[in-house]
Amino acid sequence: MSALTADAFDKEGFLRDLSQWNKQVAQQIAAAENLELTPAHWEILELLRAYYQEYDSSPAMRPLVKYCAIHLGADKGKSIYLMSLFPGSPAKIGSKIAGLPKPDNCL
Amino acid sequence: MVLHTLSAAPSGAAFNDCLKVLQAGDTLVLFGDGVYAALEGTAACDKLRATQAELFVLESDARLAGIAKTAANISWLDMDGLVALTERFPRQLAWY
Amino acid sequence: MPGAEKRSVLVVMRHSPYGSSLAKAAVDVALAAGAFDQPVDLLFTGDGVLQLFPDQDSHSLGKKNMGRQLASLPMYDIDRVYVDAEAASRYNLDTATSPVEAKLLDPREMRQLMVGYDHLLGL
Repeated sequence: MSALTADAFDKEGFLRDLSQWNKQVAQQIAAAENLELTPAHWEILELLRAYYQEYDSSPAMRPLVKYCAIHLGADKGKSIYLMSLFPGSPAKIGSKIAGLPKPDNCL
Repeated sequence: MVLHTLSAAPSGAAFNDCLKVLQAGDTLVLFGDGVYAALEGTAACDKLRATQAELFVLESDARLAGIAKTAANISWLDMDGLVALTERFPRQLAWY
Repeated sequence: MPGAEKRSVLVVMRHSPYGSSLAKAAVDVALAAGAFDQPVDLLFTGDGVLQLFPDQDSHSLGKKNMGRQLASLPMYDIDRVYVDAEAASRYNLDTATSPVEAKLLDPREMRQLMVGYDHLLGL
């Protein structure tokens, strides 16, 4: 499978057609963000996709932290942990790599 | 104490939703199509008075609608009066 | 904004979920307030209770699912949700099946609720 072309993404690098997402696409987006995906990243990405399935929206930082705490335990339900994986804005960058729309309430 | 403003006609959902929570100590300003609730002899007007809230109607909008005289216990309000009310109430709720 | 004064807000939801964009706007406001740690509670009254019907399926229309977005309220620490019991009854809505846990209020309780907030926002 070949990489998606630039027009598959919007100006900020979010996937336009969410159905085009797969793990290879995730790696392509991550590379554009200078991130190498480890199992720890994948765990959060899968959780982000589960959140989107459940609530039909991408989470802001606060709900993402809470959702991680509920599903992965208190150690991972911390903003500092998410920041270490997705530096800058974990909800925004995580959503982007997970193939989700940009979160509404994100700095 | 809440300042309510109603701009929809009394046949609509906004009127009934507003009526449900209106209480003594509150103030209600009728404007736009809300002015038709200030018509004397209508059920809408009677229901508003029964809440014992303080009732006003925006004079310019009422005159536009052809309401030359307000019902008993409903006072005229001009723009300056409306501004003064909004300064007096920290809690305001618009029904439209 | 560290140190900024927090003001409590009650968002009064009065419109059906898909008839206009008002319900969506109200949910967006509530979630934004929650995301920034501002105290916000919700009251569903009148046709607003229609947002609480279970099993909303917006998928075939490509719209956002309001029911599922309301289900995310606890993730934003919005835990106080109130419902106009008369309106729920008028539409035969069983709030036990709603996407978010909500407390039924009679008109007198609704009037008492409203005076407990710094600001009210009707949408």
